[in-house]
Amino acid sequence: MNERVPSHLWTMRLAFGLLVMAILFMRLLPLQTASGGLIWPNFVLCFALAWSVRRPEFVPAVLLAGLFLLSDLLLQRPPGLWAVLALIACEQMKGQARALRDASLASEFGAVAIRIIGVGVAYQVILSVLLVESTPLIPALLQIVVTVIAYPLVVAITHGIMNVRKAAPNELGSKRFGT
Amino acid sequence: MAKDSTNVDYAGPLRRLVLAVLVLILMGTFLLWRIDSPRVERFRAQVTDQIVPNLEWAMAPITGTVNLARDFQSYRRIVEQNSELRRELRQMQSWKEAALQLEQENARLLDLNNVRLDPRLTYITGVVLADSGSPFRQSVLLNVGARDGIVEGWATMDGIGLVGRISGVAQNTSRVIMVTDASSRIPAVIQPSGQRAIVAGDNSAAPPIDFLENPDLVRPGDRVVTSGDGGVFPAGLLMGQVAADPGGRLRVRLAADYERLEFLRVMRHYGNEAVSDSTDVLGGSAAVELAPDAIPELTEVTE
Repeated sequence: MNERVPSHLWTMRLAFGLLVMAILFMRLLPLQTASGGLIWPNFVLCFALAWSVRRPEFVPAVLLAGLFLLSDLLLQRPPGLWAVLALIACEQMKGQARALRDASLASEFGAVAIRIIGVGVAYQVILSVLLVESTPLIPALLQIVVTVIAYPLVVAITHGIMNVRKAAPNELGSKRFGT
Repeated sequence: MAKDSTNVDYAGPLRRLVLAVLVLILMGTFLLWRIDSPRVERFRAQVTDQIVPNLEWAMAPITGTVNLARDFQSYRRIVEQNSELRRELRQMQSWKEAALQLEQENARLLDLNNVRLDPRLTYITGVVLADSGSPFRQSVLLNVGARDGIVEGWATMDGIGLVGRISGVAQNTSRVIMVTDASSRIPAVIQPSGQRAIVAGDNSAAPPIDFLENPDLVRPGDRVVTSGDGGVFPAGLLMGQVAADPGGRLRVRLAADYERLEFLRVMRHYGNEAVSDSTDVLGGSAAVELAPDAIPELTEVTE
């Protein structure tokens, strides 16, 4: 088992990186060049939170920070701000991962919804305080709502298709890899 | 439980240190962007330049497939479309006849007056690589960049109407901020009344017209063209037609087809010559000073 686990760990970290790249790739496809398109949920944040709750060791802070910053750069957001807020939210969820291990999906959903709303509101507030020309308010609020709604779906995909589940109690013993 | 707590004690400080460093780095990036935005934007353009062209091999087939599916949906109403097109074609033929006659007349008149149209307004065509990826930003990425001589601020058109302005040039790619983006402000003239205005993007498909001196002289259907004020854009590029929204606000119905941007023309523009010193112009030495400028201009035309 000790032979297998580190490689599995790194495979899953790589898989998360590829997942985020795939989401960014889909967003960048030149299909929606006209304005007034659909407002998509922020899937990067959803997946990052879902993985942070389930397997904190698959999404180390360095990986999250790098991917968030990359998505800031590619999606024309002010670089760094959204990344730092999302990173803090994910780290908070990691801190709660152990408490939420046996909790129901509803309580997890509540905790995550607070984080998503917090990230979105803090982002808008900081942008307006620093007089950065920010995005229109109504679509930005809509995106927060849509992101919260999309979270259960993301959890279903994470749980069912990607097979990233909360660690069983006996797996926690191998804490060498829990850092 | 005891094991768990030792684990936390062992790994906690290191993890917290790493997190603190990461947070500081990210905040620093953001503050640096706030203070010195051009430098960070250049860095962003370089990152995009490194990543997006490498994804083109995967993007092209997916975009193609989706567009094919969308085309297929439009095939369902092909009969009505066909008759509509035929009707339009008949109208167009009469227009074409008129246009040809006007063109000949125009050429004769230009010849008589010995007029030279601005020969420096040539263009480079680029392919749209990616869009902004967010509903809040209206921009696209082109596959032409500094390597092809693209300069920040140049206008881009889709062959009919103005699409946007180059903002952010990397080696192989450049970003076009579209007229509809909330940060876009384009000085325009409304023909035939000659009223000057600013077309200010607001993330909607039809940007509103601001700073109009006398709205009474403007009516829906008037043509909106760039005025060239500020020297950023060449004058006379078609933007679209005036339309009034239900609230009575005047907007521009853009001539460019934003639904399907595939190729864009980047108009080369080297700025309008400014008359700086009127005595020089009157004295005649200006002609000598202008001469060296005129020579690269000619080579530009011949190539």
